[in-house]
Amino acid sequence: MHSSTSNSEFQRPIPSRPWNTLLLLTLALAVIGLVAWEIRARTWGYAPGLNDTSDLWADRREAVKPDSIVLLGDSRPLFDLDLNALEQGLGKRPVQLSLAGTCAYPILDELSRDESFRGTVILGLIPAIWFVPPAAPPYQNGVKALKRYQTRNLSQRAGHHLGMLLEEKLAFMKQEDLVLPELARKIPVPNRANSYLPPELPPYFQTIDRERRTRMADQCARPGPLQDRVKTGWIPLFTPPKFPDYTPKEVLEGIGKQVEARFGDTVAAVNRIRARGGRVVFVRFPVSGELRDLEEKLTPRAGPWTRLMKETGAPNIYYSDHPELIFDCPEWSHLSGPDSEEFTKRLVPHLKRALNAVPEPRG
Amino acid sequence: MLFNSLTFVVFFTLVTGLYWAIRSWNARKNLLLAASYVFYGAWNPPFALLLFATTAMDFALGAQIARVSAPVPRRIWVTLSVLVNLSMLGFFKYGNFLLENFQWLLARAGITYQPPHLDLFLPIGISFYTFHSLSYTLDVYRRTCEPTKSLRDFMLAVSFFPQLVAGPIVRAADFLPQCNQPPVLRRNQFQWGLFLMTLGLFQKVVLADTFLAPVSDSVFGHPAPVLTLDAWIGVVAFSGQIFFDFSGYSTCAIGAALCLGFHLKDNFLFPFASVGFSDFWKRWHISLSTFLRDYLYIPLGGNRVGAARAALNLILVMFIGGLWHGAAWTFVVWGLLHGVFLVAEHFLRSATKGAAWKELVPVEILLCGITYFFVCLAWVFFRAPNFQSAGMLLGAMAGQIPVGQAILSGREILLVILITVALWGAHWKLRHSSLETALTATPSWGLALVWTLMLGAILLTQGSGNAFIYFQF
Repeated sequence: MHSSTSNSEFQRPIPSRPWNTLLLLTLALAVIGLVAWEIRARTWGYAPGLNDTSDLWADRREAVKPDSIVLLGDSRPLFDLDLNALEQGLGKRPVQLSLAGTCAYPILDELSRDESFRGTVILGLIPAIWFVPPAAPPYQNGVKALKRYQTRNLSQRAGHHLGMLLEEKLAFMKQEDLVLPELARKIPVPNRANSYLPPELPPYFQTIDRERRTRMADQCARPGPLQDRVKTGWIPLFTPPKFPDYTPKEVLEGIGKQVEARFGDTVAAVNRIRARGGRVVFVRFPVSGELRDLEEKLTPRAGPWTRLMKETGAPNIYYSDHPELIFDCPEWSHLSGPDSEEFTKRLVPHLKRALNAVPEPRG
Repeated sequence: MLFNSLTFVVFFTLVTGLYWAIRSWNARKNLLLAASYVFYGAWNPPFALLLFATTAMDFALGAQIARVSAPVPRRIWVTLSVLVNLSMLGFFKYGNFLLENFQWLLARAGITYQPPHLDLFLPIGISFYTFHSLSYTLDVYRRTCEPTKSLRDFMLAVSFFPQLVAGPIVRAADFLPQCNQPPVLRRNQFQWGLFLMTLGLFQKVVLADTFLAPVSDSVFGHPAPVLTLDAWIGVVAFSGQIFFDFSGYSTCAIGAALCLGFHLKDNFLFPFASVGFSDFWKRWHISLSTFLRDYLYIPLGGNRVGAARAALNLILVMFIGGLWHGAAWTFVVWGLLHGVFLVAEHFLRSATKGAAWKELVPVEILLCGITYFFVCLAWVFFRAPNFQSAGMLLGAMAGQIPVGQAILSGREILLVILITVALWGAHWKLRHSSLETALTATPSWGLALVWTLMLGAILLTQGSGNAFIYFQF
């Protein structure tokens, strides 16, 4: 008996082709293609290494213990802080939770609501990124990473660990540069005049390990095409988008209110951590060249930074106040690997002083 | 577990290897059942209990329906099955939607009521497995399917991992007979299954996720008006994205099932070449449209009840079809639009019955274009997050918004046009044929090259794709 559309005898047709030969030929061609692509990637200077994925971040978030030292912020604490030097100086190995191109406010907020956490937060802050509205990509980066940490399932965990095994062996597995969507971006097609297009993100220029210790690639640390490419990318990326003339006044006002609210929200998050005996110290990391000028123009130190420090009452370290912390960033925004070690060593005494300036954690 | 994940590659290799290594058919079915529950439980283990509860209830009710012969108790048992299945679906999928609308209605009557927000997780694929399971009791009631005595076989029919979370909606009547005897792999069946899996993944991760999704996401997610060209490209990109996403999943499912010796029917038959909306629904998500036709439209009287009532039936069926896709009025409007299109087409067909000019190729191409145009208009409601956004986009498409932004790059526009033209061309060429026929006529070297390119492109995406759109339904 069958329903009107049911047919238990149904058998799918199979095209009459030499499928065994086709399968073997396909596999052989695919292997040859992949080997060739791997060799090409290595000749371009890529080496096997991990991608900084939401899963890798979620692993570190899971590693946070109640009394951990947590590094939070954008790409500057990610590149500029050396975990070994911090461990040596502070007596405890920190957990790296900074994320490139990210407003870390949602992460600070989540950490402040984690009742078990009463540790230390070293928070790198660039005002131009910290005060973006919630709809902006830097804010959403943090939300996305948190969502992964809060909702990832067994299959995603397994996939992540399998993926890391491959990434540590194969150079072509670089999500910033060598994936199909990025390769497709290289197709040269002119854009229309007055197009409202997002700025391009910087290419791959760093290595990262399972603890998310990040180091600038040597090709980027020395003058050359990669360094130039990264350097020139910062100006459009840090320039706030222009709103069209017809943008309703309420929309602009709404964004203004969201920025204003970030001050109060940050104070509240810091206070929640402090109330449990935790400590928060703000750090402004070195920046160089035209990018330093642009940041100072967009968000002068006397503006949001000073106000936020005053309202939170948190200890803070501003790199340019201390001559020994002024470093030259090869691509204007981050320190090279060796400089990051030296910078961290020099930062440690300042961190100790700042952390001692606030009450010890409650037991 | 996603088909486009490394975890699935390992899972499928292990399950398939073990499956064909085992001699006992019962042991193989046990393995498939365990694998299917692991596949589902990998998302959220407690939801596997819900899947089991649905299955066990329909198994028991199916047995009750078959046991009695009097019409009234049979009707009571089948009604109970329908009610419980739809209640579970309704609770998890539509609970908050119903509460919000109830609150809105009370507010219109001047009553302030603040309902509690139900903190519900939508069990993935619930719309699909509820229909898999429900088809069994309905078919046993209609006496078009023999009740099975094996709970294990029925559990496998409902939970078979290739089709569990995003279809096709495989009826128990189609699946259960395949559980009776161990499948015999026909020559080349396994390799053909692997080819279909590659094709499905290529559609999903390369065409849908890499090239089309970013464009449609930009346009539908843009908070300000966009230019007419950008609006159209965004909608056309979404129409391609949803096809490649869903058809890709179905093709993977069919391929994976073939590798395990099971045969699933087509869920898509070149829908971009549809000439008219009834043709569209014979080619798009066929397992859902036939389900609604057999279990809803025909029992309502179908087209045997007079023109006005038949039109009403059609609109009601499409209304439910829209709601099946999601708990939002935008989905309902999408369904209703298709209902209206179908009714209008029915009257136009009646008015032009016997006209030879309708069969002319240029006319068919024109009608295909008109069908595509209206299908795209309806997609706006399907994809837009709300009516305001849909209205803004439709206004931009009609050139009625004087200001707007150019938000797409030249490369994105070019790629969407190229992919859409290629898709149209391929569907038009194959509309009276099949993929299998086309591939039989393709030279071996060309087929190997295409297979390699698809595989290479999938590997180059490195798992950067998204979840399948239909998982949320």
